[in-house]
Amino acid sequence: MTDLLANLALGFQVAAHPYNLGFCLLGALVGTLVGVLPGIGTVATVAMLLPITFGLPPVGALIMLAGIYYGAQYGGSTTSILVNIPGEATSVVTCLDGHQMARQGRAGAALSISAIGSFFAGCVSTVLVAALGAPLTSLALLFGPAEYFSLMLLGLIFAVVLAKGSVLKSVAMVLTGLLLSMVGSDLETGAGRMTFDIAELSDGIGFTNVAMGLFGFAEIIRNLEMSQESREIVQSKIKGLMPTRQDLIDSSGAIARGTILGSILGILPGGGAVVASFAAYTFEKRISKNPERFGRGAIQGVAAPESANNAAAQTSFIPLLTLGIPPNAVMALMVGAMTIHGIVPGPQVMTKQPELFWGMIASMWLGNLMLVIINLPLVGVWVTLLRVPYRLLYPSIIVFCCIGIYSINNSPTDVVIAAIFGLFGYWLVKHDFEPAPLVLAFVLGPLMEENLRRAMLIARGDATVFMTRPISAGLILVALFMLVLAMLPMMRKRREEVFVESEN
Amino acid sequence: MMEGAKSSPKRGGFQFKVRGPRDFYGGLALIALAIIAILATGELPGQHGFAFGPGTAPRMFATLLAIVGAIVALGGLFFDGPPIEAFAIRGPAYVLVAILVFAGMIRGIDLRMIGIPYTIPSLGLVVSTFAAFIISIMGSTEMKWVESLIAAVAMTAFCIGLFVYLLQLPFQLWPAF
Repeated sequence: MTDLLANLALGFQVAAHPYNLGFCLLGALVGTLVGVLPGIGTVATVAMLLPITFGLPPVGALIMLAGIYYGAQYGGSTTSILVNIPGEATSVVTCLDGHQMARQGRAGAALSISAIGSFFAGCVSTVLVAALGAPLTSLALLFGPAEYFSLMLLGLIFAVVLAKGSVLKSVAMVLTGLLLSMVGSDLETGAGRMTFDIAELSDGIGFTNVAMGLFGFAEIIRNLEMSQESREIVQSKIKGLMPTRQDLIDSSGAIARGTILGSILGILPGGGAVVASFAAYTFEKRISKNPERFGRGAIQGVAAPESANNAAAQTSFIPLLTLGIPPNAVMALMVGAMTIHGIVPGPQVMTKQPELFWGMIASMWLGNLMLVIINLPLVGVWVTLLRVPYRLLYPSIIVFCCIGIYSINNSPTDVVIAAIFGLFGYWLVKHDFEPAPLVLAFVLGPLMEENLRRAMLIARGDATVFMTRPISAGLILVALFMLVLAMLPMMRKRREEVFVESEN
Repeated sequence: MMEGAKSSPKRGGFQFKVRGPRDFYGGLALIALAIIAILATGELPGQHGFAFGPGTAPRMFATLLAIVGAIVALGGLFFDGPPIEAFAIRGPAYVLVAILVFAGMIRGIDLRMIGIPYTIPSLGLVVSTFAAFIISIMGSTEMKWVESLIAAVAMTAFCIGLFVYLLQLPFQLWPAF
């Protein structure tokens, strides 16, 4: 316990450095901006900003990128409530009750409850990250190649189970991602694999190119298809930002349950903020005494998902920082950011770079505090931003992405590769394939192959090693169990139900 | 891509209908991808003794992908699914051209390798950004020239301020003749 306090003290010392405080604020601001603006996702933004973090000190860079992720969770709720357009996928369910509340003239209460819920969740999950960091790191030290392989397999299975749509098609996406990650030189022999004698491919396909193509360009192409419907903004002045005593009493349980559910789903590989908010809303509706109030402006329907998505956004850093395994696409990009700065994500981050590890955790709490201030009093400013038409927004995103991709390696080929992935992403959407499992598999691919090869070599070619080592066997069994569960007809219906709810 | 085929019944003795075209053609494309991967890694050495060769893992995953792709395609053949949405041409085309123009102009490119007897000189960041912005904005059906030109100038200025002056990344700003 004293250790924890000492570590947190170190963290706050780092995070409170004016320089890092500035980066934290910048990340929170950019995150809110992205959250508010529909059409730009967090994955694309973090990918876009990766090149920018080149010149920054590593601690500042990571603090900023983390701020974007949880900042977007705050910003997303604002547009959901006021405009009925989710600025982020994580705020889709907030629309249901949040916008109804706004129509009933209770926009202020909805906004403040979502901010309070997010802040509470942010505080709890910050403590959770700090508390779980040390024990999980020591667990990671027990891991050999076989365990790492099984853990990553489990992560990919979770990504499949928690992805929207068909389980089988998500498996196909995982395999596609693994395959694409193998383009380039072989780790051990240096032999070129699937490079088709193109020199630029010998280093492999850059992760940022894939991410920006699939999440940036593809999304823009898709948005261009839809008619640009005029946005109906709640015009009346937002009054009474303070929630009433009754509001607080009504939502306190929902906030607590949302936080718990979100924290768990965030830690699980493949989870993350999107699933957390859906799950929290569904759960809240199910246990409610009067579920018919949901969809008609129930404050619990705002409090639960908003707390859950913020909790999940933060706890998803746990597997990344302790085991070195990114549980979702945004964390996969964080791996990219860490690698740019020469940091290998994994258990050694905490022991070798404590100021980075604890600084980041402390910055999360400070960032959450800033976000409450950014979001509540300044809500009018953000809503004004919605008036920027998409036709001016998307060319800006395109050129920004182009310059960003080019600047990483000064390579025009990278820009072309991203464009190809943009088209590929557009095609995937038309065929109901989810890009998220692909991206996660793409990042984990090289790690998985390396550990698989090592494990097989150590076991002298005996493939049963994954089942004879207890931790590895346990992980694989959980993975199989999850997969079977998701394929069962009954559960399949349940999954669909959860996702359908989000679409109405 | 295979979308041209759609799900029209085949002429011939028996009526043949693809029930879920999204899954059917999606699965087929994945099989094609897997086959390309298997062919491309064909010459790489595989397993020797109990050590993996460079070709082992890619072939393993490609085979699995082909199997899963086949199941997805079969599912699309026998179970009803939604039709494939029409692919838009205009938006994607402008976006794609804008990106390619940026890639070609920023450092210059020799177009003779694709059969066009022309070489784009290295035009630098300012011109490339401006051109990419204007081309991509033309993909919108609501484009207005005055507004677009102002926005393009503003965005170009912003990017140069950010990348060149603030972040000090080494960019060539102006055309090099």
